[in-house]
Amino acid sequence: MGQKGSKVQITENDRAILQLKRSRDEIHKFTRRTDLLISSERLKLKEMIKENPTKCKSDPRVRFLLKRIHYQDHLLQQALEQLINLENLVSTLEFKLVETQFIKGLERGNQILKKLNKEFENVDELMDDVQMQIAYQEEVDEVLAHSIVGVNDFETEIDKELDQMEREINPQQQIEMPSVDKLPDLKQRPIASSERKEQGKKEGTEAPVLA
Amino acid sequence: MSNQSELPPIYSFPPLYTRQPNGLIRRQQINSWIEIILQYCISQKCWRMTAEGMPVGEPDVTKQSIFNNSSIQRVVPQVFVDEIWSQMCEEGKALGVQDGKRDSSQFYILWRNLDSWASLILQWFESSGSLNQVITIYELSQGDGTADWEFHGMPEALVAHCLKPLCQRNRATLIKDERGIAVATKVV
Repeated sequence: MGQKGSKVQITENDRAILQLKRSRDEIHKFTRRTDLLISSERLKLKEMIKENPTKCKSDPRVRFLLKRIHYQDHLLQQALEQLINLENLVSTLEFKLVETQFIKGLERGNQILKKLNKEFENVDELMDDVQMQIAYQEEVDEVLAHSIVGVNDFETEIDKELDQMEREINPQQQIEMPSVDKLPDLKQRPIASSERKEQGKKEGTEAPVLA
Repeated sequence: MSNQSELPPIYSFPPLYTRQPNGLIRRQQINSWIEIILQYCISQKCWRMTAEGMPVGEPDVTKQSIFNNSSIQRVVPQVFVDEIWSQMCEEGKALGVQDGKRDSSQFYILWRNLDSWASLILQWFESSGSLNQVITIYELSQGDGTADWEFHGMPEALVAHCLKPLCQRNRATLIKDERGIAVATKVV
């Protein structure tokens, strides 16, 4: 079916389990046989009892048959117990096989983990190196930053010089503001106006009289 | 045969017991016989028959040939019986007990063909979780785990035959005992 051509492998464990299972099968066969034997002998016994119901107790053949049945029954019980034992053993074995698989899986995982960890061996060195490189990088940055700061100073100096030159070339353009010298004192005016109003009012009230 | 109720009515048809001279009719006749044999074997769970048509197996199976119908007193002549077996083997519905030879003294009756049995067995392996474990042939045919399956009770040699298609597909291996008889299998 398009699968790999390799045959199914039979391992030592398989052979051991096979042996167990074969003995289990034998016991299984035995129990079946004994079961059949017992039931047939029981039938026979019943017939014998039916044949002569009175003397069956003293009949040695009947007694013998019953003893035989009991013995077979005993054997059957034993066989069944052994059967259970064998079945349990087989299950235990199969479980153990699974467990060995589990251990193998763990081992394999551990190996790979070890291998991977080996690659981390000089991680300290690497980290130190990285640290150093970063420090170096910072140093370089600082140096570069300094030179840039120098240029900045230069720029402000140029600015200052330009300002100075500008001042020299266009000397003070003073904005001409209207003179405030001739204006009366601010504080006196409102007082004066209110006085005038009062005066006006007085005049107003008096005016109709005058008119 | 005693349990005629399980057989089709044509079983009581006297001309069926005489080899028909016309080839076309004879083919029909042989097909009817094959049908009868398969039906009988399914109903009786009979896996093996002698070349004379006697069912082999459990001690309580009737000891009369299927080719001998006492109620209408007809018997198929052995020559014609051999012809029926040969045709059945050709169609894969019977298998000689001795290494699958057609002139065996006994035949396995296959109401499913070998491939169909193989896939049924494979189905059991898959559904019972028995893959990758050693399973004895006895366990397959007689064990308690297969009691509900159609192949339960199959003769062990026939089980081994049914496992061969799986071996050819590299799904199974037969494990043989010291006498070279397949006793167990491992299916993956």
